[in-house]
Amino acid sequence: MLQCIFLLSDSGEVMLEKQLTGHRVDRSICAWFWEQAISQGDSFKLQPVIASPTHYLFQVVREGITYLACTQVEMPPLMAIEFLCRVADVLSDYLGGLNEDVIKDNFIIVYELLDEMIDNGFPLTTEPNILREMIAQPNIVSKVLSVVTGNSSNVSETRPGATASCVPWRTTDPKYANNEVYVDLVEEMDATINRDGVLVKCEIYGEVQVNSHLSGLPDLTLSFANTSILDDVRFHPCVRFRPWESNQILSFVPPDGQFKLMSYRVKKLKSTPIYVKPQLTSGGGTCRVDVLVGIRNDPGKTIDSITVQFQLPHCILSADMTSNHGTVNILANKTCLWSIGRIPKDKAPSMSGTLVLETGLERLHVFPTFQVAFRVMGVALSGLQIDKLDLKNLPNRPYKGFRALTRAGEFEVRS
Amino acid sequence: MAPPAQSQRSPSPSQPSGKGEVSDLKSQLRQLAGSRAPGIDDSKRELFKKVISYMTVGIDVSSLFGEMVMCSATSDIVLKKMCYLYVGNYAKVNPDLALLTINFLQRDCKDEDPMIRGLALRSLCSLRVANLVEYLVGPLGSGLKDNNNYVRTVAVMGVLKLYHISASTCVDADFPAMLKHSMLNDSDAQVVANCLSALQEIWSSEASSSEEASREREALLSKPVVYYFLNRIKEFSEWAQCLVLELVGKYVPSETSEIFDIMNLLEDRLQHANGAVVLATIKVFLQLTLSMTDVHQQVYERIKAPLLTLVSSGSPEQSYAVLSHLHLLVMRAPFIFSSDYKHFYCQYNEPSYVKKLKLEMLTAVANESNTYEIVTELCEYAANVDIPIARESIRAVGKIALQQYDVNAIVDRLLQFLEMEKDYVTAEALVLVKDLLRKYPQWSQDCIAVVGNISSKNIQEPKAKAALIWMLGEYSQDMHDAPYILESLIENWEDEHSAEVRLHLLTAVMKCFFKRPPETQKALGAALAAGLADFHQDVHDRALFYYRLLQYNVSVAQRVVDPPKQAVSVFADTQSSEIKDRIFDEFNSLSVVYQKPSYMFTDKEHRGPFEFSDELGHLSIGAESTASSQMLSELAISSVTGHASQSSLAIDDLLGLGLPVAPAPAPSPPLLKLNSKAVLDPGTFQQKWRQLPISLSQEYSVSPRGVAALTAPQALLRHMQGHSIHCIASGGQSPNYKFFFFAQKAEESSTFLVECIINTSSAKAQIKIKADDQSASEAFSTLFQSALSEFGLP
Repeated sequence: MLQCIFLLSDSGEVMLEKQLTGHRVDRSICAWFWEQAISQGDSFKLQPVIASPTHYLFQVVREGITYLACTQVEMPPLMAIEFLCRVADVLSDYLGGLNEDVIKDNFIIVYELLDEMIDNGFPLTTEPNILREMIAQPNIVSKVLSVVTGNSSNVSETRPGATASCVPWRTTDPKYANNEVYVDLVEEMDATINRDGVLVKCEIYGEVQVNSHLSGLPDLTLSFANTSILDDVRFHPCVRFRPWESNQILSFVPPDGQFKLMSYRVKKLKSTPIYVKPQLTSGGGTCRVDVLVGIRNDPGKTIDSITVQFQLPHCILSADMTSNHGTVNILANKTCLWSIGRIPKDKAPSMSGTLVLETGLERLHVFPTFQVAFRVMGVALSGLQIDKLDLKNLPNRPYKGFRALTRAGEFEVRS
Repeated sequence: MAPPAQSQRSPSPSQPSGKGEVSDLKSQLRQLAGSRAPGIDDSKRELFKKVISYMTVGIDVSSLFGEMVMCSATSDIVLKKMCYLYVGNYAKVNPDLALLTINFLQRDCKDEDPMIRGLALRSLCSLRVANLVEYLVGPLGSGLKDNNNYVRTVAVMGVLKLYHISASTCVDADFPAMLKHSMLNDSDAQVVANCLSALQEIWSSEASSSEEASREREALLSKPVVYYFLNRIKEFSEWAQCLVLELVGKYVPSETSEIFDIMNLLEDRLQHANGAVVLATIKVFLQLTLSMTDVHQQVYERIKAPLLTLVSSGSPEQSYAVLSHLHLLVMRAPFIFSSDYKHFYCQYNEPSYVKKLKLEMLTAVANESNTYEIVTELCEYAANVDIPIARESIRAVGKIALQQYDVNAIVDRLLQFLEMEKDYVTAEALVLVKDLLRKYPQWSQDCIAVVGNISSKNIQEPKAKAALIWMLGEYSQDMHDAPYILESLIENWEDEHSAEVRLHLLTAVMKCFFKRPPETQKALGAALAAGLADFHQDVHDRALFYYRLLQYNVSVAQRVVDPPKQAVSVFADTQSSEIKDRIFDEFNSLSVVYQKPSYMFTDKEHRGPFEFSDELGHLSIGAESTASSQMLSELAISSVTGHASQSSLAIDDLLGLGLPVAPAPAPSPPLLKLNSKAVLDPGTFQQKWRQLPISLSQEYSVSPRGVAALTAPQALLRHMQGHSIHCIASGGQSPNYKFFFFAQKAEESSTFLVECIINTSSAKAQIKIKADDQSASEAFSTLFQSALSEFGLP
């Protein structure tokens, strides 16, 4: 049971306070919290669950805004954190992005939303569709409408019984002139390559994202060509469990708009699309760095937005890095960022240069980790393929669109 | 970094600081209050917004209370909401003014728009002013019967709020009973869920004073109620599902088949998108199968994948909460996760608290097959930019070395650390090599060769220095220049700030002296002199002790200071297994994140409802009746104990009461005498129950007469007391009763603990016996059984 929620700006100012139970949490807790955050140097480094002298605090940081919840009662920590994450999602969804000013301009809406999302410290509903029925979104359309019609209320007049229907996630009977549904496979590849160039770990975390604009109460079935590769799956509440269990078919009545239908994990992949080979040789107070990048395993589509970056160790006085392709920048926080873009056909991109060590240091003892980013459009590297999507209960033939995308998640190469 | 937060902003041109702006607002609000001009709502909105923004910033605008209430006569819902917000914030400090709002809130409670009815009701209940509770009862009563589900959801929570303001008003209005009715009958799942959470809270705080409430609380955990919730689980919102799952986790199924039914029903919850639901489900699975070892293992296998997915899918904050639970499970059953060790590899970007958890897990899962890879991985972290993590990972390598049999490869790695020439790496490695040598003395040759090359001048950290000095003393016969190194260290005695190092230095030089007296004599003299002059009490005392010991007899001194040592086989664990079990019982709570059981960090009043510790207490009446029980047994049958078992057996046979499971042992069992005045407090009982293994688990039938007599648990308690078997807690209703008994041997303090579940409809009793003295449990079981079989006899 949460007792209070605070929203703090990135300078620690209390932007909003929502007391949830009879027990009133004093604002001074925020000052205490902020002191802790400063002592850690960065609120990101602070643990999500901390004990203050009076309360237990849960904190989640999104876009510079800290969502802080307090309680004195034993409760499942993941529930509190998960709820705060949902609050952040819903707010950014509602207000179209989040920052300090947006919250301050719309704090009435934020209060209204919090009021419906949690009562007496227990989460009620975080389903954006239901909330949208109860509290109108502050967009331009509704502003124009209110001027034209003279109806100044930004709340729909009555509360439709969405929660009472058997599909709580779906708004009652939306109508579209063009019925369309898009299914995206979005995958992130996490890989760790060790000092010897061995692929220690390679895993894909993927999501099936659906954007549905369908009238009425459609019933969809989505099947994949090869579900055996999936290691573990998690579903949106709309997915019926039985068809998946027996035939690995996703059968569901979709929520309206954008949502995450399923997330999955594929482990033990054997290779990565590109290779990054760093080489460090140090001696005599300097360190020579050479990094080679190239295609290891051609996915059949172009790999773009390739970047390689690494943190320069503290003991380095200066760095001079150049590349034969793309640009190299040393950023203010001592990060060396090499943007490659696409790999050219005629040459293998390489970056090289020397790092000058602090006086007195012969050799470099700390070895930087190279973080790699890339993006491949049009292919899901796990090999997952959509077989077909059937729609039932629809008046006319809808438009169906499929896309796939893979990008690097935590892709790191140690040197 | 940004400047620290200020609880109140400093005055600035754009920010109102004082009375001026507030009184401005006041007059503006006054003007608007009476007006009914079109468009007035818009200007009101602007003003209200200003008031609330002041309130949010922390400026006291309570002086506007009257004006705000006057302006609240509006049909605009946003204005209403702002007004409710304002009123809710200041009513508690202005109880008199709050009375003004009652009127319009009550009127709104009868509005035709359900949204407004709900909002007004919620605000009304959130006023939290004790002398206004009388106005709440009416609207709440009609709210609970409202035909709109939104209003009902709000009303249910309102009842709970009312309870916290004035418990007696709430109970007198018979609201708990109404909630119970809604909980079991309402068509809307959210209403049902709110009822459950409200009732749990109300009944558990009432339970201490009212027997009926504690019975009701029990009933929430009864089979029909739990099944009712389970059957509807898919209707609930994800948060309500968490609540239901928490309830199910506390339910004790009476049969094994039930356990499987529940698990089958809940299995798909493991695939839910909401991590909180997944974790709550996992808790249910783990709790249900606790007594079935092999199924419990299978559960671990089943939950592994969802947990690992949760870790990799969520935000860093979510991952952390999941990881701490995973950490707990890995620590409990490392072998199950040993093939998944790669999931615990640290990633560069992770915050260090996550890395720390992962390092501990890597240490735990290391076994013969994966040690090499894990150690290789850990060694890479030693060169990490993050120095604390580098240190932790070296320590992890050491820990793995200490828990393995084959340390061949690891020792090489550790020795490589020593050659890395980084001061903190060397320091950590030295400490490890010392521990390693204490466990595996056979490696001394290899280690000493490397350690000998380290110059003591480069070591600054006291722990590392102490480790080096210990090795110098212990292996002085193998290290060529050990006496001279010690000598130079003693020369710098004054510069050595750490008492630990000075203590080690004294001991080391003593050991060295016994092995190589001529070379060390001078150093020893210097060390003892310096030690005697030391201002630190321990150092001084130890020096004096050594000095007198040497004076008395050198060979005795050698036996004392440097006896032949046995290799250490197991290093002490920091956390006791009892605490670990306790934390496991509190799975899916803060305890796991803090790695401490809740009693170590929460006040009793703030612990969650339905806790095990409370459970024993509230199960009932048994505990307080122990005192009277003693008197009873003294009065009545003070010497039944021994022969009771034999004589009663005979009667059983005659009457054909049927005790098939445990055949009466033909050779007379060792005569077991029980202490009729045994005393055990519930805390000790719990602790013992947790620690001891089950030594006997049986099921036997209860005679029909016994069943008939078992109308209330108390009847059996009195009967068993007659046999010197005392009840510490009991509970349940027909047909299921549950008892916890204990008994003590007459001569010694050896205790028997019994869990006894009696089902009157099937006339079966399930008995689990735990005993300090395992060998006597058979005899005790016979005694218990015969005592039970006599129950109901005239």
